[in-house]
Amino acid sequence: MINSWVIYLIFAAAMFFLGLYCLLTMRNLIKLFIGIEIIGKGVSLVILSTGWARQSIYLAQSLVVTYIVIEVSLVATALAVIINLYRTNQSLDIRKLTRLKG
Amino acid sequence: MAAILAKDLLKSAVALAVASLLLGLIFFQMGAPYAGVFEISVVAGLITVLFMLTIALTKQGDDVRESKVVKIAFPVFFVAFILIDILVMKGILARIPAIAATPESGTFGEVLWKERSFDLIGQLAVILAGVLAVLALFRKRDHHD
Repeated sequence: MINSWVIYLIFAAAMFFLGLYCLLTMRNLIKLFIGIEIIGKGVSLVILSTGWARQSIYLAQSLVVTYIVIEVSLVATALAVIINLYRTNQSLDIRKLTRLKG
Repeated sequence: MAAILAKDLLKSAVALAVASLLLGLIFFQMGAPYAGVFEISVVAGLITVLFMLTIALTKQGDDVRESKVVKIAFPVFFVAFILIDILVMKGILARIPAIAATPESGTFGEVLWKERSFDLIGQLAVILAGVLAVLALFRKRDHHD
């Protein structure tokens, strides 16, 4: 069980790295948001695999369910913000958002 | 990985859905059916639909140019990270003090409703806040038009 826990943790760290790389390098707003989603998936994998290894799967499950519900709310709000930004700027490029500075 | 590297945004969204489907299957395998069901139905279903809707609405701005260095440098960084990860992870895990694994009693419902009932109130508040935020954002846009 411990060995597969280590494998899950390595996998989750790889997902975290993927999301972070996407956040640092991409320029498209929707892709940045996909990066945030991937980071969130990695974190929920860590929570659930740790609960699984420590035999407290129910608590981990309830935390993950809470996170998923919050994630949906976050996605809906963020995509509404992205659509509004697109209608204002006619582009999804984050470099064009520098006009926002005062 | 394909979710990030794909040039087409629609392919990225589909790759994200496939990733969450696989994650849901892993959750099932760990013996967490509720989290798996939520992951597959909500994340792979609802969020993908929301992403596709956004991509369809913002089709004109699709031509954001990503720098080419990103794709070239990605495998190097990724392999280096995986190697460091595998080397470091076991050392870190050995230092974490072992928490006594106490098997839980009861069912998922009891744990969720009794121990984490405060979380449920928080969830309700967040959902309400999300609905209000979306409504406010779209109403402002209508007013602006």
